[in-house]
Amino acid sequence: MEKESKNFNRRKFLGTGVLAGVGLASAGLILSSCKKELNNEALGLPPILRGAPKGRKLRAGLVGVGNRGTGAAINFISAGPDLEIIALADVFQDKIDSCRERFAGFQLPIPAENCFVGFDAYKKLMAIPEIDVVILATPPQFRPEHFLEAVVNKKHCFIEKPVCVDPVGARLMIATAKKAEALGLCVVTGTQRRHQEDYIETYKRVANGAIGKLTSAKAFWNQEHVWFRTREEGWSDMEYMIRNWNNFCWLCGDHILDTHVHNIDVINWFMGKYPEKAIGYGGRARRVTGDQYDFFSIDFDYGNGVSSHSMCRQIDSCANSTGEIVNGTEGYTNCINTIWNLDGSVKWQFEYPKDENGNPMNQVKIPPYVQEHMHLVYAIRTGKYVNEAERTALSTLTAIMGRTAAYTGQIITWDAIMKSDMDLGPTKLEFGPVDMIFETPIPGTPVKV
Amino acid sequence: MLGALICLVIIFFINAVASYTSSDQYCMSCHVHPWAEQNWKLSPHHNNRTGVTVHCVECHLPPKGEGYLFAKAKHGVIDAYGYLFKDSGKINWEAKKLLENAKGFTYENACIKCHQNLFPVTLSVNGSNAHLAYLNTKEEPKPNCINCHLIVGHFDRNAKHEHDTNFGVDATASKELFGEATKVESFKNFTEKIPGTSVSFDMVAIPEGTFNMGSPDGEPLRKPDEGPVHRVKLSKFWMGKVEVSWNEYLAFFQTTGSQGRTEGQAIKNKNVDAITGPTPPWGAPDQGWGKGLRPAITMSWKSANTYCQWLSKVTGKKYRLPTEAEWEYACRGNTTTPYFFGGDPKKYTSKGIFKKLFGRDTTTIGSYIVYAENSSSKTKEPVSVKENPFGLKNMAGNVAEFCSDYYSPDAYQSNSESINPKGPNSGQEHVIRGGSFKSDAKDVRSAARDFTKTKAWLVTDPQMPKSGWWYSDCIDIGFRVVCEADSAK
Repeated sequence: MEKESKNFNRRKFLGTGVLAGVGLASAGLILSSCKKELNNEALGLPPILRGAPKGRKLRAGLVGVGNRGTGAAINFISAGPDLEIIALADVFQDKIDSCRERFAGFQLPIPAENCFVGFDAYKKLMAIPEIDVVILATPPQFRPEHFLEAVVNKKHCFIEKPVCVDPVGARLMIATAKKAEALGLCVVTGTQRRHQEDYIETYKRVANGAIGKLTSAKAFWNQEHVWFRTREEGWSDMEYMIRNWNNFCWLCGDHILDTHVHNIDVINWFMGKYPEKAIGYGGRARRVTGDQYDFFSIDFDYGNGVSSHSMCRQIDSCANSTGEIVNGTEGYTNCINTIWNLDGSVKWQFEYPKDENGNPMNQVKIPPYVQEHMHLVYAIRTGKYVNEAERTALSTLTAIMGRTAAYTGQIITWDAIMKSDMDLGPTKLEFGPVDMIFETPIPGTPVKV
Repeated sequence: MLGALICLVIIFFINAVASYTSSDQYCMSCHVHPWAEQNWKLSPHHNNRTGVTVHCVECHLPPKGEGYLFAKAKHGVIDAYGYLFKDSGKINWEAKKLLENAKGFTYENACIKCHQNLFPVTLSVNGSNAHLAYLNTKEEPKPNCINCHLIVGHFDRNAKHEHDTNFGVDATASKELFGEATKVESFKNFTEKIPGTSVSFDMVAIPEGTFNMGSPDGEPLRKPDEGPVHRVKLSKFWMGKVEVSWNEYLAFFQTTGSQGRTEGQAIKNKNVDAITGPTPPWGAPDQGWGKGLRPAITMSWKSANTYCQWLSKVTGKKYRLPTEAEWEYACRGNTTTPYFFGGDPKKYTSKGIFKKLFGRDTTTIGSYIVYAENSSSKTKEPVSVKENPFGLKNMAGNVAEFCSDYYSPDAYQSNSESINPKGPNSGQEHVIRGGSFKSDAKDVRSAARDFTKTKAWLVTDPQMPKSGWWYSDCIDIGFRVVCEADSAK
């Protein structure tokens, strides 16, 4: 055994292990703990739970009741016992209606007086004293304001990613995260890969040196085109944009934030830091509505010669895939379940649970979308504090740095994007005409003839 | 057993002494500056909703276990010496209130010991940004708590830490406005009138000539960047008799600055020829000392340069910042001595232990220059000093002045025998000359050089991005204009 008196947690663990008698499972753990290995707690890893523990009833309000919002609310109530959704807020009545209908279908009716419509609906919802938890699932443009209001009203939060669309929003998220921490309010964000057992087990090995020192990485989210709405008669500028939010940068942040932020977050996680600068490009080839790009290719520079190539695309009939690769001096990994030696032989593989027929399933037992809510409830009920808002804001800011590099054609540094006053929203949020210009950004200058 | 008892008694006694000598009453018994106690009582560390009182030593000494006793001994010795041997009436209490001095006896660890939560839920967006910047700044110059919170321990009704969108708005009373600028027929002194305002200022005709720029190796207290001495020939030019005053600067600010605009906000002005001036300042640029004929201060080099462009536009003449050579030539007024009046820098300086103990000579220098010994740490109006041989005032002292040259420590190396030199082609920081009300006598010598420190001068500014128009952390910088001789019409 190595002497390591500072590692209090491990000593405690060993003590209890001996007291309990050496079972087969713990024998394995003790063996591995004899090496100088960092455990889950030291690595800041979340618990993998079979369900949220019992405890005081937690009532939640859902802000942003579209597809993902309703999905997140269902994930929340499936996380454990005594979890309820008691209030809804959205800017559209029809969205509220269909969400209420779905909950009524589960015999979990949401009272009409707790359903609010409009740009200030979230404030009314958060003013309800019985609400312990809010789920924030609107387009990310609104997230920082909503998060602040939630913390001011002393609510625990589940926050969908991305958490903002611009640096002004990112700083508000970070500051609010710190306020939440000071108040002891738990915050879990929808970066579900960080709650996925296979990712966690892979990370643990990489963090303990399984592939040596990290030398480079690759992150990719290449897929078919995503949903869009064409404008209907009677819709104002504002209504159209919010109904088609996934295609406007000021609402969505572009798809490098909306989806690719998952991969970027994984790379930041494995690297253990944030990139120093970004250079890259992108463009708009086949997108139908809005002002966004449909492809990006960014080089994130983590310093000391370590880079991550980030690419994302939303174009039909191309080579598609989603994932991450991290390379090290002694091997490489796909971050999710496999570690290879440098010669391509498999060094380690995550063992997925088996189905009724004894065949391995290729996914973890509890969907990560539910697992993250279990973690939130676990944290609230056991007092094992969690707050993921800052790190997810920083990963979102990483994506913003990449997006800005592509839009402008310039090298964008972490310092510059952290201090940028870029603020994409309109000055006033109300239904009606919107005085904004929606040009797709073109980097550089025209050739002078 | 008895030994142990004696030890206990001694420890108890030391403790009692330590805590007695840490009481407010004990502090006040020697600290003979009553405003400190009064302003403390007016400050939120005494006067607040919670009823909690924060005592002298809780800010002015580090927390116990973090160098408390050492600091107590250090300050105790210094204070005892001051109490016994110095005349409290002659101590420059105003200077002690300045940020850079306050840092010497206010402990950041002491702030943080109580203020552990930098993000209370009521903190504003600006406050949050400032605290994030504080946490994220890993390299010097780092902000200190009191960069922003300077007056929380001792109230100061003049201090401002906010975006002053009304700055200078009502500064000019409604007087007769000048219709047009002064017409200049020949090369002699004239009084310029700024059209559309009631502001005028004097310009002094500086004859052409050749002079020795820099200081010789033998000049006392010189620095290496002042050499080698080299011959410089200059054409004639006009120079502002005094530093640009608040009256003049506010005329510019009011016509070109757009009230309420924040730093990064884009300007949508169809008139492409229009000059875009400063954003509203952060805090009070005049430091609450008053405006009027006092020199304008804390503007950035870019602001000063833009002022000259604006002044040229409204007067139809060619105004600009002086080159470093023009500045030194004008300051010397054909003298070759360390100062444009007689005297030895070694006699005037306050540096060194003997000077501190036995005093220094301030007679002659005090009548020409506003510097550390006679300024009370503030700017002064030009009436308080005598002219130099060319008829200019405050060339040295009062406020340091921008030059148009980039600064380089070896700028003079390549400058042997030159005509109207303009300094290095490129650089980061600009030359500033003349020293200021904060300077020691050695730094107000005619040859003394200095330069802007953009990063350090913006540490306190909490805006993102930081202001391009105002320095938050430099209160002794200003400028004077020159007018080109061929613009006489």
